[in-house]
Amino acid sequence: MGLIQREIEKIGIPTIGVSIVREFTEKVQPPRTVFVKWPFGHPLGEPGNIRQQRAVILEAFKALYSITAPGEIVDLPFRWRRHDYESYEEPSIAAD
Amino acid sequence: MAYEPWESGEPTPWTPVVRPLNKCKLAVVTTSGVHHRSQPPFDMQDSEGDPTFREIERATIGNDYQITHDYYDHSDAEKDLNIVLPLDRLHELQQEGVIGELAERHYSFMGHIDGRHIATLIASSARQVAKKLRQDGVDVVLLTPA
Repeated sequence: MGLIQREIEKIGIPTIGVSIVREFTEKVQPPRTVFVKWPFGHPLGEPGNIRQQRAVILEAFKALYSITAPGEIVDLPFRWRRHDYESYEEPSIAAD
Repeated sequence: MAYEPWESGEPTPWTPVVRPLNKCKLAVVTTSGVHHRSQPPFDMQDSEGDPTFREIERATIGNDYQITHDYYDHSDAEKDLNIVLPLDRLHELQQEGVIGELAERHYSFMGHIDGRHIATLIASSARQVAKKLRQDGVDVVLLTPA
């Protein structure tokens, strides 16, 4: 995935990737990444868990603007299943 | 030997984000092997994977999708596509004004690419998709694995 991400960034479109395998991401060095330590097949969480899915997307958007060093990986603090997404406070994303 | 760009010393590409997200058109690129039922499945016979891609139309993918990817358990993604391709969530965020516009077209790969197909993936498929995204007027791309 990181290889594709690099090509998109190279053509002039900014990218943010979700990673579930930190070692691959460290090796391939895509420009911007958020990492979740979750099982394969679940980069945005569990089926039907809307709050959880939103949390990953919004944190990815946040990282899109906060990452300033190419190749940086932001480790998201979410724990698989045990995280309380109801009390997760959604960040506001860069708006004009 | 396969082309491994991270060993070529090529620097990490970088395009600064200049627009606020609520003025951006966003598309998703996923490597989860999702495609529409009417599209040909990814080739699972080749042990080095299938470096081709499928165009995903947001309007038609709905409940009509299929996942061809033998290298991960996609039973949960079959219950809710949003855990690998979050188009419903992104549509909601567009309605809330968080993102400016959600693209109509998104792109899907199967993530398990190895050996000789790595070069094809980069030099052909990935660059083709990058060009298509640019033609689509996409400002920001979110990438999701499986």
